[in-house]
Amino acid sequence: MRPELEEVKLLEEYVQEKLTEDQQQNISIRLLWDKIWQHKLIAQKTAYKALRLAGRQQLRNELESIHSRLFG
Amino acid sequence: MHVAPILLTNTDWRHALLTNREQTLERIYAKVYPMALHYVKERGGSADDAKDIFQEALIVFYEKVVHDQLVLTASISTYLMAICKNLWLQELEKRARKTSLESLPPDIGALDSDEETGSDTIQLKEFVNGLGDKCRDILVSFYYFGQKLEHIAVKHGYRNIRTATVQKFKCLERLRKAVSHLSIERFHL
Repeated sequence: MRPELEEVKLLEEYVQEKLTEDQQQNISIRLLWDKIWQHKLIAQKTAYKALRLAGRQQLRNELESIHSRLFG
Repeated sequence: MHVAPILLTNTDWRHALLTNREQTLERIYAKVYPMALHYVKERGGSADDAKDIFQEALIVFYEKVVHDQLVLTASISTYLMAICKNLWLQELEKRARKTSLESLPPDIGALDSDEETGSDTIQLKEFVNGLGDKCRDILVSFYYFGQKLEHIAVKHGYRNIRTATVQKFKCLERLRKAVSHLSIERFHL
């Protein structure tokens, strides 16, 4: 994967706390001073929130279809 | 058609929801919705109220089972009805507050929470839709519906999991860029 994608992956693993203790700590320290990384982390968390909302909307639509089929 | 019994073990429910979502949800719906309808109607609600409450409860249930690996210690109907009862009590309290404050009829804006209907929320969902069907489906299937990358690779015709993984991160990077101008405060992260 190109470096930008590796970085997205690394931040994902950091958010999910899947890295080793040392790696987690290194990123936490980097996030203290690296404003670009801080911003990327915020944006990535916002992206996860957007996906949760979009997924919930899709599930709601699927349940509406089920309701119409069964009881509509 | 083989219809599995409604009493599955906890692991089976998770597996069934992940591998055959629509049919599994339909089976649960057919079995438990009439109970929710009865409950809500007995306590002053309408059929529409019951539908909203029940669907909300199913969404909570889905997220808990798929993401939080909830361990079910009771039957699925017991669990869903407990959520429905709590949601309906909350709804009644909300309506009572609203009526006393604004003298509005009780059926206005029933279940709309700020999180689901605020303009920021709509904007966030639009960013996901703006990715196009393929990226949207890959990301929502993986991150919300908990689908495995093997399954996503087959569905989208990728040679292997590795290719699907790269594609997933490309899509996520695009979404991250799209939302990067939004501030953290606006979305209470």
